[in-house]
Amino acid sequence: MPKAINILSAALLALLLALSGCSSKDTIKIGAATYTETKIMAAIYKELIENRTDLKVDVIPDLLSNSMILKSMGRDDIDIALMYSGVIFNNFFPVKQTTDRESVLQQAQEGFDRHYNLKWFDPLGWENTYALTVREDVAKEKGFNNVSDLQNYQSEMEFGVDSSWMERKQDGYPAFIKHYDFNFQKAYSMDVNLVYEAAASKNVDVVLAYSTDPRLIEYKLKTLKDDKRFFPPYDASMVARNEILEAHPELNEIIDELTGKIDEETITRLNYEVDINNRSERDVAREFLQQKGLLKK
Amino acid sequence: MKILQDYFEFLQLRLPDIAARSGEHLMIVGLAVFLGCLVAITTGIILTRMKEGPISGLVFGIVNIFQTIPTIALLAMLLPLLGIGLKPAVFALFLYSLLPLLRNTYSGIKEVDQGVIESARGIGYSSMQRLWKIEMPLALPFILSGIRLTTVYIISWTTLAALIGAGGLGDLIIAGMANNDNFLIFTGTISAIILALVVDFILGFITRKNSEQSQQAN
Amino acid sequence: MTFLKEVWTYIKDNLDMILIYTGQHLLMVLFGVAAALIVGTLLGILCNRYPKVAPIILSVANIIQIIPSLALLALLMLYFGLGFYTVVVALFLYSLLPIIRNTYVGLQQVDRSITEAGHGIGMTYFQLLTKVQLPLAMPFIMAGLRIAAVIAVGVATLAPFVGGDGLGREIFSGINSRNDIRIYVGAIPASILAIIADLSLGTIERRLKI
Repeated sequence: MPKAINILSAALLALLLALSGCSSKDTIKIGAATYTETKIMAAIYKELIENRTDLKVDVIPDLLSNSMILKSMGRDDIDIALMYSGVIFNNFFPVKQTTDRESVLQQAQEGFDRHYNLKWFDPLGWENTYALTVREDVAKEKGFNNVSDLQNYQSEMEFGVDSSWMERKQDGYPAFIKHYDFNFQKAYSMDVNLVYEAAASKNVDVVLAYSTDPRLIEYKLKTLKDDKRFFPPYDASMVARNEILEAHPELNEIIDELTGKIDEETITRLNYEVDINNRSERDVAREFLQQKGLLKK
Repeated sequence: MKILQDYFEFLQLRLPDIAARSGEHLMIVGLAVFLGCLVAITTGIILTRMKEGPISGLVFGIVNIFQTIPTIALLAMLLPLLGIGLKPAVFALFLYSLLPLLRNTYSGIKEVDQGVIESARGIGYSSMQRLWKIEMPLALPFILSGIRLTTVYIISWTTLAALIGAGGLGDLIIAGMANNDNFLIFTGTISAIILALVVDFILGFITRKNSEQSQQAN
Repeated sequence: MTFLKEVWTYIKDNLDMILIYTGQHLLMVLFGVAAALIVGTLLGILCNRYPKVAPIILSVANIIQIIPSLALLALLMLYFGLGFYTVVVALFLYSLLPIIRNTYVGLQQVDRSITEAGHGIGMTYFQLLTKVQLPLAMPFIMAGLRIAAVIAVGVATLAPFVGGDGLGREIFSGINSRNDIRIYVGAIPASILAIIADLSLGTIERRLKI
């Protein structure tokens, strides 16, 4: 036998063997987006599910958008993912405009069940939304806790926001100052990654940030409560395909174990470990579960 | 038929966007290839002026390693050094353009008949004159085909620049993926292929014209 | 210096993960290139046997080659969904051209007189192909395989774009969260893998020539 044929047939054989060994049915696939907290939650549930069951879990991170994740769930490429209640306003199905937390959640739970055959679990406990933040020392000195506490000072304050929010008509800057009846001295638009440093270095007094970004801790910034409810709620929940829950009913209980257990402070701290302390999501997830005593031997 | 009609409407709506992305795309490619020509052709000439030895081996070895490194790995590794956006994209693609350009310049000049060079020396041409009047014109078809080859591939690779925020047609593909918009993915793809084919055709045409001229001159 | 130390700590803490990524990376490349080796060699033989189809096969493979990798992955994902198979199919398609072309060129290189001598001693086409032509074309096929493998290692780094695994995971994570450590932890092994593929297959290629 000439060498060429030998190599070719060996390659063919290896291919067939490998392909036949690859299709395992009992693998749960958890999707995650490009930002850290979705990857941390995916890693946490991977550890948790593999700890409680014989199922194998694959994490599929860095997916481009929530729409892409939800579409992949529709074609069974992803079984479980982290979602935020406010995504319902991205044209998935007809919705009622509101900023009421309960109502948005309820619409998400009913809508995704009906239109996408997905189970939207009860919230994990934190919200990742736009948040007005000020330096901690300023907040302490002036007694700022709520956004409306800025009322007496805002006309002398400078406001740093990310450029896309500045342009948005319905829920952007113009609507915001109208809602709170504010009139900032000046509003600067910049890349969202720059606002944290801008506030810390006293270039601006107030910035619009993402509420669970660890740089809020890094730069000692305080989040003010959106007391007049301008921003749509973004309650984080796990979402799973109804079919996978029917096939493995024990997943219901496992996913629910963390319901209501992770507040904003906790997730920000976990984000901090990954983003600022440069640890892997897997390490951070394991440590979190061990601290909570959730990993059974 | 409905889908064609939809697509046509989509094209009309997004045409400015597509044109802008194509423009960015061409600019990145143009800058990278231009810088590549500048550096590779000069280096190629210098290498032919030296004795074959460790230095040319080293230069080719390094340039070959650039060629081997996965595109996204190279783009990513340049991020911490050059920041996000156009700079790392142009620089990475410039590194990729070096090997074909350098190889073709080098072998193009080396291929020139020694007899021709000797007779040029005989009639008193200086080294510079030999280079500009004899060697470069004779090596030009090689260099042009190197430019053609590298440009076509760089047009294809430039789509990856969108992953590090440099824009270009890759933006359309990524936006299409993110928003489940198949028209966008399709448009980004077709635009990049058409761009590559058109540039290939134009550069091929120039190469042919050039060789016809030099044949007439002979 | 502190940066290098941080890279080192990250690697130490996550070595098993990085090794798994490397394994996944190699697996995708192996599947894609092996499939292309089988199909590509057959198509190359076809090109040599039926000169009329050669330009068609070669230009189709050529067009595939200039489809941007991001686009090819995105298009394949529409059909194959997220993950492993989409990437393998893309690697297969990209590996075809170098293997077809080199098989074809290699077979064309085989001296006509040798082929005729084979005919003369009564060899069938199949015998001639497997005992004379393919072995003589082997260095060319190896050169094609080498080009294909280097391209495949590179394209496989894009796997996370369509939900696949491999060393690209750390690179994409690093780009998305602007984490330089993870960029290097993914990009350096991926580059080394490509360079090793290039050098080792290059060595085999040279051995075959002698």
